[in-house]
Amino acid sequence: MKRYSIVLGIAAACLGAPLVQGQARVKAAAYVVPRTADGQPDLQGIWNNATITPLERPADLSGKAFFTPAEAAAYEKEWLQQNNRDRRAGEGAADVAGAYNQAWFDRGTKVVPTLRTSLIIDPADGKIPYSAEGLKRLAAAAEYSRMHPADGPEDLALTDRCLSWGTAGPPMLPGPYNDNYQIFQTPGYVAIVVEMIHDVRIIPLDGRPHLPANVRQWMGDPRGHWEGNTLVVETTNFTGKSHFRGATQNMRLVERFTRTDANTLTYDFTVKDPATFTKPWSASVPMTKAAGPIYEYACHEGNYALPDVLAGARAQEKKAAGGARK
Amino acid sequence: MATLALSLPAAGQATAARGPRTADGKPNLNGIWQVLTTANWDLEGHAAAAGPMIPLGAIGAMPPGQGVVEGETIPYKPEALATKKTNFTNRLKLDPEVKCYLPGVPRATYMPFPFQIVQTPQYILMSYEYANAARTIYMKDPGPAPIDSWMGQSVGHWEGDTLVVDVTGLNDQTWFDRAGDFHSDALHVVERYTLRGPDTLMYEATIDDKNVFTKPWKISMPIYRRLEKNVQLMEFKCVEFVEELMYGQYRKKP
Repeated sequence: MKRYSIVLGIAAACLGAPLVQGQARVKAAAYVVPRTADGQPDLQGIWNNATITPLERPADLSGKAFFTPAEAAAYEKEWLQQNNRDRRAGEGAADVAGAYNQAWFDRGTKVVPTLRTSLIIDPADGKIPYSAEGLKRLAAAAEYSRMHPADGPEDLALTDRCLSWGTAGPPMLPGPYNDNYQIFQTPGYVAIVVEMIHDVRIIPLDGRPHLPANVRQWMGDPRGHWEGNTLVVETTNFTGKSHFRGATQNMRLVERFTRTDANTLTYDFTVKDPATFTKPWSASVPMTKAAGPIYEYACHEGNYALPDVLAGARAQEKKAAGGARK
Repeated sequence: MATLALSLPAAGQATAARGPRTADGKPNLNGIWQVLTTANWDLEGHAAAAGPMIPLGAIGAMPPGQGVVEGETIPYKPEALATKKTNFTNRLKLDPEVKCYLPGVPRATYMPFPFQIVQTPQYILMSYEYANAARTIYMKDPGPAPIDSWMGQSVGHWEGDTLVVDVTGLNDQTWFDRAGDFHSDALHVVERYTLRGPDTLMYEATIDDKNVFTKPWKISMPIYRRLEKNVQLMEFKCVEFVEELMYGQYRKKP
């Protein structure tokens, strides 16, 4: 299976995003996709997308789209060692940030079976094709964040606020843990339960129009249809606050879900946002069948950290104002 | 209406429910549903009353309702009734809905928001618009709940044409309504969903909690299908709307 995937991966590298349909067709010959009672490809089950393959190709792998099996094994070994070493620097704040090793995370221990060196398959360099305008906006946001790290709750990351999780989607990317999704299908709908901070995406398949353009949602407004064995989901109507990888509210997301063998749901997505990227870019993430169950992630309900971070910032300001200037 | 739901046939008897069916012959509960009761304000019968927020005027007032509790009164133990009254007095501080917390069961059902049922033979997903809350009803019992949670563990089975859902593993953090009605972590809820026609679902929940009530008690109400063209669940991620309330005191003063 691994070698077969590599061949397809190379095809993907050559052709870019449109190859995904071709990929589904090629694989259909070898693997018969199960069907639901109403005859749709059956994508149901619990799927996990954990992998140590990064979204973007690391600089030291520049020009190298695929590992050899030996290189992949070496990369995995080194990655694990890096993440398990003691990174504590012996000083409070750095100790807290650095005290997490693999025991805290559930990122998996393997690169993707295609042996790609990045999840991004297009463009060929494995990098997000930011435009100058996009980079400028990201830099301005980073600068604001540096000057105002915790003035109020809205200055903290969406994850810290339990509003959304940057990897939980859409689009769905491997995160540090809880990379679990359960797909349910019923005539006319596909539903995806996202374990990370408990979200549900319900995707209508009946060709209805999107919500009015003035109605915006954190997770956008998805519409799906079938292309052969592939579920294609187009999502629009994002908020300006969702900002996936710096994208604006006008981001258009196209996701493709294809069962490529009994244990794999191949998930490809393409992001379009001319205000942020010079061209659309695409990634491919294999999702693996998982035993489950999905647990409840009651993020906001247990969010003791957020008030503590804000109160801590106020205490520091008070100390700085009252004591010696630093 | 509740009486009609109760009079439906028990397990194994010939079918009586009216309405659509799924490919495997079960009553088809798929769709977007919403109640029209005032149960979320107060499960018991109540006259209209002013709300706790004076600036909201009539918008914040409690609408009247005839109640959804069988026998009209929730059978509290005396000390628990006192807690309920304190809860009501301090509801702006204590009602978990104020803080956008997950609603628990059965409150999720009768929040003033729609929910969508996605029914499959093995699992039935209940996705609630309020707070993106969801629960999966396991049609095969996975064994005891591994840990208590806000939405609990739901295990379902069909008794004739009624979906019966056994809910356990609920924590003690949720309330039943804005009137301070509460429970402990010993809560056990058994829900019954019966199609009365294509667009009406009869709902009944038996609530048992030996720490709080003298005996099990029941609520019942109809749930109606949302029939608008292209109706869909929308996002009500209310966490953002409670940040000022919960964390505003820690905000940097200009």
